[in-house]
Amino acid sequence: MRKLTIDPITRLEGHGKITIFLNDDGSVANVYLQIPELRGFEKFCEGRPVADMPQITPRICGVCPEAHHMAATKALDDMFHTEPTSTAKKIRELLYSAFYVTDHTTHFYILGGPDFIMGPDAPVKDRNILGVIAKVGMDLAGQVLNTRKENHWIIQAVGGRQIHPVFGLPGGVSKRISEEDRQKIEEIAKRDVAFAQLSLKVFGDIVLKNKAYVDMIVSDAFTHQTYYMGLVDDKNKVNFYDGKVRVVDPAGKEFVKYSPHEYLDHIAEHVEPWSYTKFPFLKKVGWKGFVDGKDSGVYRATPLSRLNAADGMATPLAQAEYDKMYSTLGGKPVHHTLATHWARLIELLYAAERLLELAQDKEITGPNIRNIPTGKPTEGVGIVEAPSRNFNVRSRISGNWGFLSTSSGRASSTLLITWSRPLSAPAGQARVFECFKRPKH
Amino acid sequence: MKPRVAFFDFTGCEGCQLEVLNFNLEIVDLIGAIDIVEFREASSDHSDDYDIAFIEGSQTTDRDVERVQKIREKAKILVALGACSCTGGVNALKNRFSMEENLKVVYGDSAKLYSTIPTRPTSAYVKVDVHLHGCPPNRNEVISLVKCLLSGKKFEQCHNPVCVECKLAENICAFERGEFCLGPITRGGCNAVCVTGGRKCWGCRALVDEPNVNSEKEILKKYGLTMDDMMLQFKLFNGALEVSK
Ligand code: SF4
Ligand code: SF4
Ligand code: SF4
Repeated sequence: MRKLTIDPITRLEGHGKITIFLNDDGSVANVYLQIPELRGFEKFCEGRPVADMPQITPRICGVCPEAHHMAATKALDDMFHTEPTSTAKKIRELLYSAFYVTDHTTHFYILGGPDFIMGPDAPVKDRNILGVIAKVGMDLAGQVLNTRKENHWIIQAVGGRQIHPVFGLPGGVSKRISEEDRQKIEEIAKRDVAFAQLSLKVFGDIVLKNKAYVDMIVSDAFTHQTYYMGLVDDKNKVNFYDGKVRVVDPAGKEFVKYSPHEYLDHIAEHVEPWSYTKFPFLKKVGWKGFVDGKDSGVYRATPLSRLNAADGMATPLAQAEYDKMYSTLGGKPVHHTLATHWARLIELLYAAERLLELAQDKEITGPNIRNIPTGKPTEGVGIVEAPSRNFNVRSRISGNWGFLSTSSGRASSTLLITWSRPLSAPAGQARVFECFKRPKH
Repeated sequence: MKPRVAFFDFTGCEGCQLEVLNFNLEIVDLIGAIDIVEFREASSDHSDDYDIAFIEGSQTTDRDVERVQKIREKAKILVALGACSCTGGVNALKNRFSMEENLKVVYGDSAKLYSTIPTRPTSAYVKVDVHLHGCPPNRNEVISLVKCLLSGKKFEQCHNPVCVECKLAENICAFERGEFCLGPITRGGCNAVCVTGGRKCWGCRALVDEPNVNSEKEILKKYGLTMDDMMLQFKLFNGALEVSK
């Protein structure tokens, strides 16, 4: 038996090592994704003031600190029984939409996308942003950088800091949005909508018009019939910031819809001896190993999963693209992992449209940005939808925390589930990784 | 020949690397003057040949220790990038517990399958030439460091506490708003961004050279707070400060 090791995995947040065992005939016997370190957030949050949580949990991941900051802040709202003011909720969702725009842009063009845009056979040295610039042209590349820069500016202006924002407080936010900034944000949001539409067009031209790509998307190697999970609003539309968690089964039928407090009834984690990462699964279905199908508790929570788990998008342009994707790929749900790139661009468009809606909402500049908590803190849970990146396979890091507070207001026990897992059957993984990351010889 | 620069990540959130990647257009100028030969977050290319090594993250496994020592042997200049590498950052919060306890809470009955060592900043194991503080560091500081390295000028840390920049930014003092701020003892250089964002300073840039302990004590007294309260706050990003050199 031969062994191939890919260590470290690149263009990914978080450390990882992949070991592939090959049979003598060259076929794949087994594949392991290993996360080789323990950080200890579950333990070391204990005894810290709960107010620190929105500062601590973002340090899990510098790529999506906004998601952790927001989930922890929402857990504090819940813990102090304080509903944020309407303006505060809108400010939070505005920042969150700008975050989705930058994050999906980064993922599509810089982290996960280069393999896809450059093609699976492109040399390793070309699979980065510079290779992408050469392929899509300097004009679009300039727009990519500009979109990132402008939306980072929004995060900084609204959240106080770009990486590791500070604005979230129980019951609201720490800073108002000025009319001057609102106007700037509105202009940026308009450019974001146009950029998202252009990105979908590029995807159509480079990928959908190329039969080899489409064959790869719908090929068996990249198809897994799993459960799908995502936050939805009260009309079952995709929502990133708030709502209930909806899970659909591999046939697309609603399996469960639960509110944040019920998450422990539905999610458990499995530990494997070969990795420091844990593998969440649907408790009521049960852990059957890394396999797909209706009897396996493996679920996915990616951009594609969110679209599968919802009935549609809450904004018109994104809804039209949603319909187009499902009609092209043969209806819901779509099990083709590589369609995640497509779903991500549809979410990019939704985030841009939502950002624009919020920037045009006059209430966004209102003075009423916080309800000061007065009640006695008890226990809190907060859930948001993280954009997720990690390879093109699944991974959502969704903050899902329960704090049990003591009277002194310190976290006595913090349970923190970081949902970030690779996907299903090892053999399938092998193909995904082999195709996208060849080890250097 | 252009200096070859490498970024290495250890235990951390990678926000420091992201901060560098996010320079966007500014970085394009710098890229012309240097060769980035290793940057895992952004590229799949690898190289073992470099002059300047940026270390992000703290060392939390035996393997990390060996790896950082090897990097030190090769690099002419080694920079500790960010709080995790400079002072342990939030990772050092786990040092308050035994390693067994940490493993047990995270992995339950499977804990015996894993191992971990207390979090240490990079300087606990190898000589660090420059510390770039912050969680993450301020990008202007990173740019100015690279410029200094290119021109051979000495890089100067900010020697003022955060309060100096905070007052220049005309912020209302966080203490007035009932928050506990570490600005008086924390090294500036970040323009007091967190206070400008409506909050306070959490001390992510470590101790200023000569912290004015007396003035801090007075402030504590004025607001009815104790040194213990302060240490609890300060340990958030600086839990392994005592073992850094
Ligand atoms: S110093 Fe802060 S930003 Fe940098 S890696 Fe550590 S936690 Fe992340
Ligand atoms: S104590 Fe904090 S808020 Fe007050 S001036 Fe100093 S840095 Fe600013
Ligand atoms: S204000 Fe304090 S916590 Fe914020 S970046 Fe500056 S040193 Fe760090």
